[in-house]
Amino acid sequence: MDLTTQSQPELTTALDSDDKDGLRQIPPGRLAVWWFLASEVMVFGGLIGCFLLFEAAHGDFAEAAAHTNWKLGAFNTLILLTSSLTMILAHSAAKAHDSLGTRLCLFATVFLGLVFLGVKSIEYRGEISEGFVPSTGTFWSFYFAMTGLHGLHLIGGITANTVLLIAAVRKQPWTILEKRVEYAGLYWHFVDVIWIFLFPLIYLT
Amino acid sequence: MDSIERDDQRFRNKLYFAIWTWLLLLFGVGMAVFALNLTRKMAATLIFGLAAIKAVLVLRYYMHLKREHVLIYLMVVVPLLFFAAFALSLVPDIVWRHGFRG
Repeated sequence: MDLTTQSQPELTTALDSDDKDGLRQIPPGRLAVWWFLASEVMVFGGLIGCFLLFEAAHGDFAEAAAHTNWKLGAFNTLILLTSSLTMILAHSAAKAHDSLGTRLCLFATVFLGLVFLGVKSIEYRGEISEGFVPSTGTFWSFYFAMTGLHGLHLIGGITANTVLLIAAVRKQPWTILEKRVEYAGLYWHFVDVIWIFLFPLIYLT
Repeated sequence: MDSIERDDQRFRNKLYFAIWTWLLLLFGVGMAVFALNLTRKMAATLIFGLAAIKAVLVLRYYMHLKREHVLIYLMVVVPLLFFAAFALSLVPDIVWRHGFRG
């Protein structure tokens, strides 16, 4: 095959074994993950919707939000965006059966996730020491609920990626590992998308 | 690793790095908007608009929604519509009871 004359999109399509046509062509695992993410949209959507409605009703969230540390929040956003990159690179490496690339990128994703949690705990400590706890007011109830729930989801993602990292080190067969990295990646990117909206909502209000 | 797979991986990775660069740029623009002295409504519109663009980039290119079956699209869109419907259905009640302070 002459690679110089073949266009890159054709190359990707030719190697992509998932036929887009037909419901039965969607791998059950992928369908299940998307179904789960759809339910999570309802969970976070409910919280975010309530936040917006309370803000519209009372309009005093800006004063409380001024006490959040937007610089740490911005740093965490950069961390999570970069972790999304390392996660998709892990999937790309797994698809190409690149063992070293898969392990390195999964490790980087786990590491960045832990950095995010570390920074978040520093934020929580600062806010709690200033007297801002969930019972302080409506904004802080939402703040701790939304960021806490997001943090729990992140812990789940870190756990899953750690398990996959161990599986990659133990050289699990690619037929299994590749799909699992893909599904874990879908979940991880979803957690990132949630933060993309949470950050401006809470910190930049 | 087969050379075709390696080339395919390189092409994919270039795209992913390009998307990541765009995400960082959009994030930077959002922070610049935050630093400007715009009205609250304008700043909120711009910042959330940028957040929506970032979300679409992640969904299309990192979550591969660009080449997924229409059922997967529905799984993403329908819950969002439900969420919007629930939120909007309560707006008249808030306006009636509290007045709109947003």
